[in-house]
Amino acid sequence: MRGMAVPRCPICQRSVAAVEPKVLPFCSDRCRQVDLGRWLGGDYRIPVRTDDEDEDGDGAVRRPDER
Amino acid sequence: MEPSSEPTNTAKPAEYNASSITVLEGLEAVRKRPGMYIGDTFFRGLHHLVYEVVDNSVDEALAGFATRVDVIIHVDNSITVMDDGRGIPVGPHPTVQGMDTLDVVMTKLHAGGKFENSAYKVSGGLHGVGVSCVNALSEWLHVEVQRNGKVYQQRYARGVPQQKVAEIGTTEKRGTKVSFLPDSTIFEVKEYDFDTLSARLRELAFLNAGLHIVITDERSGKNHDFKFEGGITSFVEYLNAGKQPLHDKPISFRAEKDLVSIEVSMQWNEGYDERIFTFANNINTPEGGSHLSGFKAALTRSVNGYAERSQLWKGIPETPSGDDAREGLACVISVKLPNPQFEGQTKQKLGNSEVKGLVEQMVNEQLTTWFDENPLNAKKIVGKIGEAAKARIAARKARETVRRKSVFDGGSLPGKLADCRSKDPSVCELFIVEGDSAGGSAKQGRNSEYQAILPLRGKILNVEKARLEKMLDSDAIDTLIRALGVGIRMGQDDSEYKPTEVRYHRIILMTDADVDGSHIRTLLLTFFFRQMRELIEKGYVYIAQPPLFKATRGKKDTYLKDEDARSEYLLAIAAERTKLELSNGARVEGGELKALLKKVDTYEARLERLALRKDKRLVDALVQGTTLAPEDLKNSEVAEEKLDALLDYLEARYPELNEWITREQNAGRQAIGREPDKEHSAFRYKMPTEINGSPRLTVIDTDFLGSPEYRALLSLKEAFKAFGAPPYTLSIGDERFTAQTYQEVLKLALDDAQKGVAMQRYKGLGEMNADQLADTTMKPENRTLLQVRVKDLVQADKDFTLLMGDEVEPRREFIEREAQNVVNLDI
Repeated sequence: MRGMAVPRCPICQRSVAAVEPKVLPFCSDRCRQVDLGRWLGGDYRIPVRTDDEDEDGDGAVRRPDER
Repeated sequence: MEPSSEPTNTAKPAEYNASSITVLEGLEAVRKRPGMYIGDTFFRGLHHLVYEVVDNSVDEALAGFATRVDVIIHVDNSITVMDDGRGIPVGPHPTVQGMDTLDVVMTKLHAGGKFENSAYKVSGGLHGVGVSCVNALSEWLHVEVQRNGKVYQQRYARGVPQQKVAEIGTTEKRGTKVSFLPDSTIFEVKEYDFDTLSARLRELAFLNAGLHIVITDERSGKNHDFKFEGGITSFVEYLNAGKQPLHDKPISFRAEKDLVSIEVSMQWNEGYDERIFTFANNINTPEGGSHLSGFKAALTRSVNGYAERSQLWKGIPETPSGDDAREGLACVISVKLPNPQFEGQTKQKLGNSEVKGLVEQMVNEQLTTWFDENPLNAKKIVGKIGEAAKARIAARKARETVRRKSVFDGGSLPGKLADCRSKDPSVCELFIVEGDSAGGSAKQGRNSEYQAILPLRGKILNVEKARLEKMLDSDAIDTLIRALGVGIRMGQDDSEYKPTEVRYHRIILMTDADVDGSHIRTLLLTFFFRQMRELIEKGYVYIAQPPLFKATRGKKDTYLKDEDARSEYLLAIAAERTKLELSNGARVEGGELKALLKKVDTYEARLERLALRKDKRLVDALVQGTTLAPEDLKNSEVAEEKLDALLDYLEARYPELNEWITREQNAGRQAIGREPDKEHSAFRYKMPTEINGSPRLTVIDTDFLGSPEYRALLSLKEAFKAFGAPPYTLSIGDERFTAQTYQEVLKLALDDAQKGVAMQRYKGLGEMNADQLADTTMKPENRTLLQVRVKDLVQADKDFTLLMGDEVEPRREFIEREAQNVVNLDI
């Protein structure tokens, strides 16, 4: 399991092993706030797949059972 | 040991004269309005008495005469303070006629050396009221002075001397010992708190490097012993104990100018709290004042200066503020000056304006030098300050956006939301749909009694040539927050966040079944996980499962949610149309045939999975044509005899491969290699082959023959015994076919089944009309929902971080893997 690794704050990468549950998955209210600021600022962007990356040409997700 | 109480005899003392009357009048004023002198008559005032006496001892230390102060809390809450200073002067007072100097010090307000700068250059003492106040407010007070080899004693009751100052013995030591019991008719709090006194004494020990202070509580036996050679540097280390400092040692410096001495020690830690303690003449100034303003101005200036010179704040939208610079800073500022002026209602602020400039100049010079001499640490510090600024700006942006909207709209629901009629959250469902067209279908197809629809549109950005990115803008996030009705946390302030007031207990993400759809879903899930975790913990968040296929046969449409459903569907048709006749004449059809075909299908699928590296024809031949078992590999003769059967099977079923092997052998190349497998005391056979020109290496060894994958194939082979020996005859409709293998049987049956079916693959929700979408994905009786669990999201969040990252390769790998991660969520 990759999940065995120490959980870390998605903003500052510090370990969150000992923080109070209320602020999880962050290490602090501050990092939570920074995250919210990024959502609202449109800083989180995901790549859009263009046609040439679509290997089997059907535009569909390859599910594990298709392998 | 002193007696714990004294007769409160107010009989006229022997030396009653005019000057004594003034003294008594002065002390009477203290007794009448104690608050004016010591703040209050409660907890604070009671403890204040001790500080007042201790300050006299610390003054002796500051002047260089005392090295140790002892404070004892006695069982009756009386206090003793002892020092090893010069001792209060004893003998006729030079100006106050007929009074002993000791009596003057102990009974006259504002008496004592500290009001003439000659005796003490600087001095502490709260508000300068002196020990006479303590005397006036004590039921009794005893003072013992060791000075010039002699011991002197005096006793007071509520400030009134009870005798003449008496010489009671000789000594080699020196110092002053003051014991007193606070007057219970004045103080409403009578118990001393050890921790409070200890904390202040610790502070004093920090502020006066090398001074030894011991506090003992006779009531409990507790004892603290303070001595810090490092002074305020030790203070800062104490403040940062248990924290992660950003740089090894505190930055400390001191300077003296115009009789003012300034000491500063500071160290940043990785936390966010700002802890700055300021003192003037050992007195805590929690409201700051001129020394603090000087420090703040210098800190901002020197940090900004350094950052600018080294260009460390590129890309930060605005210059970090003083608050940013002080984030995670532990700092102690201590100034000592001749005439401190304390301002403010509680006199907790330093007023001397000349101090600001002195502190500012000193800190600016010294800090700038330190930064230049410690570039690595300077970079860390300035970097942290830049991060603090970014965080602050982001936080402000978040507040402004969410607050502004909710103020303008009065907390109303967003216009895009098509809400349901029911207001009972336990039955209400919110479908979050990506895209307007799918949103339209969902609105038409929903049950508006309890199903609400929120269309969200990702915004496409053209970041660089040929690279598009999608995001949810602040409007989309804001719409989402308001539709859910839970508000949002603002930093520490969670008064506006009410996860229990969520308006829907099923929040269903409905996105296209393609990579982009799964990305949008990851984005939304990550938002919930990070900002509204409680909703996921409560199990309110679900993922809709739109079908991947629509199969039309005749006039009947069937929706198939995934590949498994698709093959199940086709097998059912195949079994319906096909009749199988075995070589022994037996007929297989209906359910029995379907079960057999399904096993062949599974066999084929498993073979395919092994075929990434191995040649599936060889594996098939190994399973079907031989009885090779792991233990056979120990003996090469046995193994190779059995492998001959493999070649026989190839000759019959895969002639092209058999020919290829023969050609290779004729060309002098080895088609089958044998090597020892030492770990198993056996042999290993390797067969390098090609499928359509791409190389395969089929390794037959103990590990492979014993592997679960291979054994699964063997157990399916057992099931195929029902087929008996070939040939197999199929009648499909009016036609008849002959097959030699089970795979051929399956292929013939499926080919026929597919002919009669139009299979449509859904790429997006928009390809379904409203009825189809409602039937397949929204109606509770037909749909499948995946419930999202927190444990899945820990990984999802990591993946999200990767997805947001700039590194191209991990990002691409992630995209390949990501669909699985979401699909693998538990139901």
